[in-house]
Amino acid sequence: MIAPRTVLTRLLTHPAFILAAIAALFFGCSWLSGGTVQILTFLMLNILLAQSMNLLTGIAGQISLGHAGFYGMGAYASGILMKTAGLPFVVSIPLAAAIGALSGYLVSFPAGRVREFYLAMMTLAFGLIFREVVREWDGLTGGAVGLSNVPSTTLKNLSVFGVTLDAIDYFRIVVIVTAIVMWLVHNFIQSRHGRAFYAVHASEVAAGCLGIPRAGTKRQAYTIGAGMAGLAGGLYAHMIGYLGPESFDLARSIEVLVTTVVGGLGSMAGQILSAIVFTFLPEKLQVFAQYQFIVYGAILAFTLILLPRGLAGLLLLPPRFIKPASLRRAGTAGVAIRPVDSDRNAALVVEGVTMRFGGLTAVDDVSLELHPGRITALIGPNGSGKSTLVNVVSGIYQPTAGDIRFFGESIAGLPDHRIAGKGLLRTFQDPRLVPRFTVRENLLLGAHRRYRTSGLAAALSLPSAVREEAAFLASVDAVTRMAGIADVADRPLESLPYGYRRLVEVGRALLAEPRAALLDEPAAGLSEAEMALLARMIRAMKDAGLMVLLIEHHMDFVAELVDDVVVLDSGRIIYHGDIEGMRKSPAVIEAYLGTSETEGAHA
Amino acid sequence: MLEIKDLVVSYGAIEAVRGVTLTPAQGAITAIVGANGAGKSSLLRAISGLAPIRGGQILLDGKDITHVPASRRAELGLAHAMEGRRIFRQMTVEENLQLAWRFGRRRTTWGDALDRVFRTFPILNEKRATQAGLLSGGQQQMLIVSAATISNPSTLLLDEPSLGLAPIIVQEIYAFFTERCREDGTTVLLAEQMASLALKVSTHGYVLRQGRVVREGPSKELLETGLVAALSSAYL
Amino acid sequence: MEDFLTLLLAGVSVGAVYGLIAIGLNLTFWTTRTMNFGQGSVMMLCAMLTANLIARGWMQGLAILAALAVIVVLMVFTEMYTVRPALKIEGSMGWAVSTLGVGIILQGCAALWFGSQAVAFPDVIFSAVDDVVIFGVHVSLQYIAVVVLALALVVVFELLVRGTVWGRAMRAVAMDQDFAAVIGIPVRAIVLGSYIASGLLAGISGILVAQIGGTVDPAFGFDLVIFGFVAAVLGGMGSTPGALAGGIVAGVLQQMVGGYISSAAQHGMAFALLILILVVRPQGLFGQREINKV
Repeated sequence: MIAPRTVLTRLLTHPAFILAAIAALFFGCSWLSGGTVQILTFLMLNILLAQSMNLLTGIAGQISLGHAGFYGMGAYASGILMKTAGLPFVVSIPLAAAIGALSGYLVSFPAGRVREFYLAMMTLAFGLIFREVVREWDGLTGGAVGLSNVPSTTLKNLSVFGVTLDAIDYFRIVVIVTAIVMWLVHNFIQSRHGRAFYAVHASEVAAGCLGIPRAGTKRQAYTIGAGMAGLAGGLYAHMIGYLGPESFDLARSIEVLVTTVVGGLGSMAGQILSAIVFTFLPEKLQVFAQYQFIVYGAILAFTLILLPRGLAGLLLLPPRFIKPASLRRAGTAGVAIRPVDSDRNAALVVEGVTMRFGGLTAVDDVSLELHPGRITALIGPNGSGKSTLVNVVSGIYQPTAGDIRFFGESIAGLPDHRIAGKGLLRTFQDPRLVPRFTVRENLLLGAHRRYRTSGLAAALSLPSAVREEAAFLASVDAVTRMAGIADVADRPLESLPYGYRRLVEVGRALLAEPRAALLDEPAAGLSEAEMALLARMIRAMKDAGLMVLLIEHHMDFVAELVDDVVVLDSGRIIYHGDIEGMRKSPAVIEAYLGTSETEGAHA
Repeated sequence: MLEIKDLVVSYGAIEAVRGVTLTPAQGAITAIVGANGAGKSSLLRAISGLAPIRGGQILLDGKDITHVPASRRAELGLAHAMEGRRIFRQMTVEENLQLAWRFGRRRTTWGDALDRVFRTFPILNEKRATQAGLLSGGQQQMLIVSAATISNPSTLLLDEPSLGLAPIIVQEIYAFFTERCREDGTTVLLAEQMASLALKVSTHGYVLRQGRVVREGPSKELLETGLVAALSSAYL
Repeated sequence: MEDFLTLLLAGVSVGAVYGLIAIGLNLTFWTTRTMNFGQGSVMMLCAMLTANLIARGWMQGLAILAALAVIVVLMVFTEMYTVRPALKIEGSMGWAVSTLGVGIILQGCAALWFGSQAVAFPDVIFSAVDDVVIFGVHVSLQYIAVVVLALALVVVFELLVRGTVWGRAMRAVAMDQDFAAVIGIPVRAIVLGSYIASGLLAGISGILVAQIGGTVDPAFGFDLVIFGFVAAVLGGMGSTPGALAGGIVAGVLQQMVGGYISSAAQHGMAFALLILILVVRPQGLFGQREINKV
């Protein structure tokens, strides 16, 4: 008995169904009245807008409160360029998209320097200011009176390559454009770029340590989202023939936001359903027009709290982020970890590193070296500076003093995503994974920095992109087998018990083909069986020639794995050598247990 | 009297405390020991109301406080010195103490309360107008335990007070709450990673591992039976 | 010269109010790291209610108090039913959307009850034509009154925050919610209180701006909230004197650009200023650089 959601999702996303729907629209429109064709054109534009906001807000998690501003930028740009500068339709429309994209980039410029809600405020400001500027700059835009006589199908003066277009021709063009854009966006979302957007949304710190540049990714999301909105705007302008600032005000932005939220943030199919509802409903409910704002406000106020995944959450399966085509090609011949080439320079050298926070010295003149094929344990009581040291080495903090050299190159002070990009990876004490992603999708994120094919290739679903992803998926599969989690590979991580997260996090690090791995308490909270699987993975790392630093408390776990041990206390190294020596070292015993001097004072 | 019954604490999917039952002896010091991640902090946070409780009960003097908000528990005589030296860093020593006194049970006058703090830790008097964030680690811990006890709590929770402190300061802090316990009859629940420290000052001890109590008994016994050595193999 | 001084005073006057708005935004940011994206509607509603009640014959003082009372109820609702539940959902910024939603509901309701046309705001403080002559220039008494009132409010606010125990308790909650809770500070009440105070500041700001502008309409508030945000960012989110200074700078710049260049440029300038500050000095003129510890 297949669940209704599965049936509905498979139906709506089946290529045959989609092609049939597009064909029905494309050919069937000649039987429809002019009014209906115009509403359907409008529906296509609303779908484009909803998808653009879904990409920005649903996937990348960036809230856009002035989306009509981007829409308007495209509309006015194309309208003015065609009417005043006489540019042809086929030039002005792409320019509209480009100008929309540029404004998105501008708004997101401060990304990475400020808290997220500043960007949301910026979008709100942009939307409001856009409308004001349009109203005041009447020389260019026609001001409050509006820009009329824009070449359009309504005015029957829109011609492309000498052919005058009527409403039906235009509708067909819009259908094709919408279909193509959605296909590109769908491929994009199911590529490493879409996954990167979502990773930055779900966990900024995790994204950084995977080599995903956070600010850049956010800006990319704003640029693409705004570009899509600009495109929709350009198409709108030449349908309607008249542009007034009221069409691009806060009310319009709210409409788009409502559509996206109700559709379900993150789901492309949900957006289509929602766009249908919100295009036709206001028509039917004209009498309630005065309540529209109130209803929309209420939807915004409570939907994210009561029904966070919108219609898509109710009716459909959660969206997935891996192309089925890539999955099919993947096969099972993958290797979990390849031996690294030997290199004379291969070493991680930490030299005299000190880390001070105000008056507190967390790490005090620590020096150690990691070499290929060796596992070093870093231990010490709570507060001894172990995590701080790893944070410094992985680029989350800049050391107050000292140097860190990786393969001979100084990396001290570089940001975390760049250090990750050089092959130095770390895991976290509390795993930073994407809860809504499946195990497979989470693991695949690890390979992010290894991809060579471009965003465009991914969007076009070129064979080279599919092949590359299939190869990584084969490795992912091998890792799931090594970690003993192959049977749950396609379950969302949030539905699995805690132990799985740790295994996935370490597995994800493997996918990045690191030269060095810093594992921060990977065994904490694991059962005996899970610890055995983890140990297997770590040993495989060593055998493949990686440099491994293991922070751990579980001495049983560590004892069998490590080659040597570094003990920290109050930020300083108090022992460096093998495990036997450590157990006998007076300094270590005192650090962990205290001696009689510290306890004698009270009975 | 504090009673904890079958307490379950989980943060989302992570179960930090999996059914812990314990009753600290009134007017005495009880030790909670275990490795990092064993659930000591989560247990204390649940008792003071900062961590979400998924199951079980907490009773204070017979009253069920399992769902009472944290700020009300202070009124009922519960005090918590959290791990990580949490204090209002941009406020002065005196301002910190004042807030702790003002929103606590106020069993004494402000003047008397302040006097008592300064008599115990004269250095805090010297630094009374200094921002808490600028004090040394030991001084901060003195401030924290003073703030926690300024309202004469009936139950005091201490989460790793020795963390990162020099042995001599640890002595002072330990002397402080041992005396308080003796003088005021405060029930003290002391969580430490350094097991022997805690076991040497306490009458009873509980060993936590992965969110469960795996050993309990009189502290002397736990020390004598080489538990510390056994623990040390878990630690080391 | 006359133009310059008039513009300057108008700028200082409206800027002082922007400062007030900024302080209101800061308040909730301190205690919850959230901001009411529908704050503009709060301002608008307060001004419209006041105008409406006075038009029905209510005594001015009473009308203002009644409007503020409505605002208090509104803020309680907003905090309890749209912010607190949204904050419980891990990591999302749903609170930005839900507070915006409440603002939109208010705008819709205002349009329904009071109509979408601009409503004249009665003279509560002096009259629009009362003026005084300084250095040979006619200066509107209303502008001066607004500056004085706004400054007085800022001073009172600072005194309350720094000088009273509840003010200190609020700063404590802003610094460390957990520690505040364990020493007995009623955190939930303080968070609610910060939302209420923020709403009151917004409401009063709405009345002051409506007074100098002369009219109110349902869309009135959103522009204000943007300028309030610019002021808050300019000054630095942690600082009250910063918010005031940021507001005055923003207000003066706005009036100058509007007077000497154009109205369109006025709005474009606000945006440019915002981007500039966020790129060059995101902590604002008086704020502290935030360090994010992992």
